[in-house]
This record gives sequence, structure tokens and C-alpha cells, in this order.
Amino acid sequence: MRIKVFIVLLLAAFVTGLFFVAVPAQAAEPIKIGALLPLADATGKDGSRSMELAVKQINAKGGILGRQVQLIVIDDELKAEKAAAALDKLCTVDNVDFIVGGMASGITMALIPGMKKYGKVVVWAGAAYSGVEKAMEGQDWFFHLHAWDYQQGAYYEKGWAEVKQKYASFKRDKMFMAYEEGAFGSGSFKGQKVLAENGKYEVQGEAFKSAAMGGGDYRSVLRHAKEFNPDQFIWVGYDKDALPMMEQAKEIGFSPLTFVGSPPAWPVDFAKQPLNEGVLLYSYWADTMKNVSRASKTYSDAFHKEFKDTPTTYFGPLCYTNIMILADAIKKAGTIDKAAVIKALETTNYPSPLGDTFVFKKSNVIDHQANSWPKFMQWQKGKLEVIWPWEYATAKMIYPFPAWDKRGKASATIEGEKKAVPAKDAKKDKVKK
Amino acid sequence: MLIPCGQYKPARNSSIRFRDLITMINSILSKFKQKNFLIGFIIIIAAIILVAIYKPNVLFEGLQRSALYALIALPMALLLGIVDIVNLAHGEFMMVGAYFAYFMNVQFGMDPIVAVIPALFLFFLFGILVYYITFKHIIGKEPLSQLLLGFGVGLVLAEGITVIATNFPRKLGLDYVSSSATIGGFTFGTFEFVYVAATIIILVGLQLFLKKTDTGQAALAVGQNPRGAKIVGINVQWIYLLIFALSIALIGAIGPLFGTRYTIFPGVGDQYTLKSFILVAVGGMGSLNGVVLAALILGMAETLVLSSLQYGKWADIIYFALIIGFILYRSHQRQVK
Repeated sequence: MRIKVFIVLLLAAFVTGLFFVAVPAQAAEPIKIGALLPLADATGKDGSRSMELAVKQINAKGGILGRQVQLIVIDDELKAEKAAAALDKLCTVDNVDFIVGGMASGITMALIPGMKKYGKVVVWAGAAYSGVEKAMEGQDWFFHLHAWDYQQGAYYEKGWAEVKQKYASFKRDKMFMAYEEGAFGSGSFKGQKVLAENGKYEVQGEAFKSAAMGGGDYRSVLRHAKEFNPDQFIWVGYDKDALPMMEQAKEIGFSPLTFVGSPPAWPVDFAKQPLNEGVLLYSYWADTMKNVSRASKTYSDAFHKEFKDTPTTYFGPLCYTNIMILADAIKKAGTIDKAAVIKALETTNYPSPLGDTFVFKKSNVIDHQANSWPKFMQWQKGKLEVIWPWEYATAKMIYPFPAWDKRGKASATIEGEKKAVPAKDAKKDKVKK
Repeated sequence: MLIPCGQYKPARNSSIRFRDLITMINSILSKFKQKNFLIGFIIIIAAIILVAIYKPNVLFEGLQRSALYALIALPMALLLGIVDIVNLAHGEFMMVGAYFAYFMNVQFGMDPIVAVIPALFLFFLFGILVYYITFKHIIGKEPLSQLLLGFGVGLVLAEGITVIATNFPRKLGLDYVSSSATIGGFTFGTFEFVYVAATIIILVGLQLFLKKTDTGQAALAVGQNPRGAKIVGINVQWIYLLIFALSIALIGAIGPLFGTRYTIFPGVGDQYTLKSFILVAVGGMGSLNGVVLAALILGMAETLVLSSLQYGKWADIIYFALIIGFILYRSHQRQVK
């Protein structure tokens, strides 16, 4: 009998012991973050590396809530069907707690049904197409970092108006937009026409077949632009169009006052090309911002230290911000419970390497839209310099765009400054030179 | 069957009877058919002159565009005419050639135009390898097998390049590609005349090879009747291998020329495979001159439409109109016969 009692007690002790051992084991399980990015694309490469960097920094400081963070990145290959399958895997096989990442609007559209089905907290870096916003109406778990297309358009107008206001020599009464014939380009032109009506300037546009779709000969469009004689020429296409567009503009001798390119990313070779001098573009970040923003410098230095490389697209700092915002919210919430994390995300106030301090506000449709804003940049001597907003400006604008037959000498910078820019908008994290 | 220059002899229709109006129309069409090449040529030249007066850029840029199309389609016409294979990996071989030139430039500073020469030799050997591994086994088999195999080879090449070089777009910055000339206030690009020169060289070279050499004549014989050629002692398998390797060598060497002007990425060849196939079909399966003529029609018409600000977006319709027109014409021909 005593032996039986002894065995029962021993078993009870063993089971109790197992229980105590199991609890810490459960607590040590990592917080899983699932990311979707196009890894063979420059945006995905910069984005995934920056996410890894952020996770490494977080884990080096002991993780979140005493748990390590595990990042699972899947390549969406810029294909809708692959992205949808990757989301399914993240949610069902990997059992991730949160979803981050994203780049292309079309891919995001394809992911929306899956996101709604799984209902996990999503902090989404990419997608500018406002159709995504409409599809996400009423989804309180969806937090969006990138500005929507209409927000970007309005912001560009604001920027050009400020440039015009500051410099007497700057002219933008006639604009020609060459746009790729897909949804991205034609949507941009549609929006530009509305902005031109409001801004009271003349706009002309023509579609072209992007090299990505089997095109690559832009001479007809460029000739029409040349005949129109615009003050500003903007092309909206892809990275594949960038260098041939410049070569063909040179070939037919087309050099408007401002030459703007608006691809989501620039090709790897573009920075090395002398033809890039004076080309303006819209972006959110350039490595030169480390000279004017402390957060940007910290990020750039850490990235360089980790990868011995420099990010070439703004998706680097954007994806870094993506992870940091989520990590801060989990810390604040003290749990990974969905409702608590949503509530904590709503109180986000994160000084991003992109320059902006990220807070979530209501946009036209969704409840959680971050206030990230694009900047005017210009290729100058192979580097991307920020031209506007003034508080992040790293160089003066080259203006007018240097004529093709007068290159080789130092390019003229914009003249005719009307007044000094008030310093009231300067951000707190600005690095004093 | 491959039809070299000077051997283009449309079939005569001597059995036409003038019984009613339809027969009369058929007769007129038949007469047109007899001289269609010459008439078509004269019409095209007249149209080109008119266009040149109206819009000179259409003449120059149309010619350059046509030359590029013809240049890419000619190796496919050669292969289809003799070996009777539709190579759906055609554009991918060109893409690999363009990457070869790109990396030769980046690593060794070799100019892409110079890279044409090593590309020619390397792709000849590569063609032999690909032939023995893949296409050799489907010659004479049903067309679906050929198409699937070509598609598969294309996929392997594109994915292979993605693994090696990623799918980042790449483009060499070459000063001479944006060279231009000005005549009477009209500025036009001059570099793309390289495509015109290359097309002439390949066309004339192939014609000479097929007409003036024993191997070329043997290849023509194999293209016309492989069984007959075998009976008279021609090594048909060797001809197949030679023509396949030659076709791959040519398209591989065109890659560097293509890459001078266009951005390259793993999927860049897709569109050109389809376009080349259509040009080969429209030009007459295997007719080298026909391919050049079809390319001239397509390139000039596309450029003409593109030159209109309002209707430029309809340029792609030319491509489809050409296919539809060709199918209707062939269908009509059958009815006349």
C-alpha cells in the first residue's frame, strides 16, 4: 500500500514538474511576424534586409515581452497567385502572429480576400493605389504606411507650388506626361488632369508601351512632347524604361526645363550614367538624407554596417519602419492580443528614417493611414539629392535641366530666390551641419 | 520549306475559267497573286516615299524598327524552314545573348558590338548542346511536343538567368546609342541603323549559304523533303544539328546588339518570340524575304500609327490586323484553288 501511495505521489510530482517546465517553454516561443516582399526586386531586397536588421536590433535588446522575434519572409515574386499562396502558408503553416511587408498595389489587391479571411493585424508598407484603400474600408486591423495615389498627387502639387513661390525663374505652366499604358500609368495621368484643372496649368499626355510589356521605343511620345514644348516633362513607367527614355530624349534633342521620372524603383545601373544628371524624381528617401535627419543616419549606418551596402530604394527604411512600429505597439500593448495591439498601434508616434514621424490618422476611407510623404529628389553627380521639402533639402535644384549639347560643364542651379524659407517646419531630429 | 531569294515562284493557276463575275474576281486575284511580290513591293515603296514626305521620322524610325523585327525573326525562319521546329525559346536565347554581352562589358570592358563575335561561337556550341539534350528527341514528333519543349527550354533559360543575375533590369550606358544626325532641322537617331546593316548581312549571308554552298543546298533539300534527301545520301541528322546550332548562334549574337539599345531582364525575350513567329507565318513559313517584307510592313505601320498623338495607342492593333489579314488571305487562296 505504501509503495502504491509512493508511486502515485511520484507520478503527481512528475506531472506537476512537467507543468512548471512547460510554462516557461511556452513563454519562450518567439513572436512570429510574416512578411511578403518581391525578393528579386530592388524594393524587396532592400525591404527584406531592413526588416532583418530591425529584428536583429530588437532581439539584441532582449526581444519583445521577453520573447524573441522571428521574421518569416516569403517572396511574392510580384505574382498575385504566388502572393496569395504565400499568405496562406504564413497564416496556416507558419502560424504567424502579424503580417507585414507588401510592395505592389496589384499584388495587395490579390491578397485582400486572404487578409480578410485570416483577420490578423496587418501593418502594410506598400500599395499606393486607392482601390486598395476602398477595398479595406472598415477593417480596423489594417494599418497602411505608404501614401495613397491621390495623397501623393496633391502633395506633389504642393511641392511645385512652393518651388514656384520660392524661385522667380521656375516655370511650370505647361506639362507633358508620358505614361505607361497599364493601370499604373493611365491612373496617374487621370489624376494629373484633375490636378492640372485645379492648378490652372496646361497638361498634355500620351501613353507608351513600357519595356516591361515588350515596348522600349519612346521616340514617338518624346517627339510629341517636344512639339508640345512643355515646361515640365514627366514620365510614369517602370525601372526598365529609365535609361532608354533618357537615351532617346537625347537622341531627338528633347530637354525641357524640368525632366521628371516616376518609376517605383530605379535600375541598378542608373546611378552610374551621366545621362541621369538633372533628372528629378519623386521618392520618400535617399541615402543623402543621413546628412539632415538623425533617424535616417542611424538607419543608414546600421544598414551599411550589417550588409556593407547602401539601400537603393525607399522600401529599405520603409520596411525598417514597418517592423519598428509593430514592435513598439506590441511592447506598449504588453501582449500579442489583437485588440490590444490595434489599440497600441493607434497611438504610434515613431520618428522614421524616412524623415516623417509616423502617426496613424483617418484617410478618405480607412481609419489607420500613416502620414508619410514623398520628396522631390534629383540626380546630381550620380547621387540622389533631396530638393524639397526644404527642411530635408540636401542640395539646390539643378535648373533648367541641362541641354544635351551643353553637358560636361557644371550644371546651373536654380536662381531667383524670392525669400528665405522659414525654419519653423524644420523637424526636431534634423542634424546640424 | 525554305524559299531563298530568286527561288520565289508562286504557283500558277491556269485552270481559271471566266464564267461569271466571281470567276472574274478570282482571275484578277489570281493575276495579282502571280505578281503579288512585285506589286506589293512597289506599293510599299510608294507608301514609304509618301510617308517620308509627310513624316520623315516615320521613315527612319520605321525602318529601324522593321530591321530589328526582321533581324530577330530571321533565325526562326531558318530553323522553321529546314528543321521544321517552332522554337518557343527563341526570345530567351536572345535574352541570354544580351546578358552575355552585359557581363562581358561589366567584367572585361568589352563593347557589346564586339561581343557579337564571341557570342556567335559560344552560342553555336550552346546550340549543339541544347540540340542533343532536347530538340533532337522531338524532331518529326507532333507539334505540341515541340511547343511544350520550346516553352520549357525558355523557362529554364529565364529562370536560370534570374538565379544568376536576379531579375533587376540592366542596361549599359553607351554613348553611341543616342547618337543622332540632323538634316534640314530634322533630328533622328543613327545608331539603330546597325539593325538595318545586321539584317542585310544576315539575309545576304543566309542566301549565299543556302544557294552557293553544297551544305546550304543540302539543307534546302532537307527542308523540302527530308526523306528524299536521306535517300540521295544527305546526312539529314547532321543538317538538322547544323541548322539548329546556326539558328541559335545567330539569335544569341543578336542579343548583344539588342542589349545596346534596350533594357534587359529575364522576361525581355517573350514578346519577341511571339512577334517573330507571326512574322515567319505571315512572310510564308521559312521564306527569308517574306519575313523581311512582313517585318517592314509591321514596323512601318506601327511607327506610322505611333506618330499620331491621338491614335498612337492603337499601334498594337497593326500586329493583330496583320495576323487576321494573313489568315483571311490564306483562306481566300485555298478557296480560289
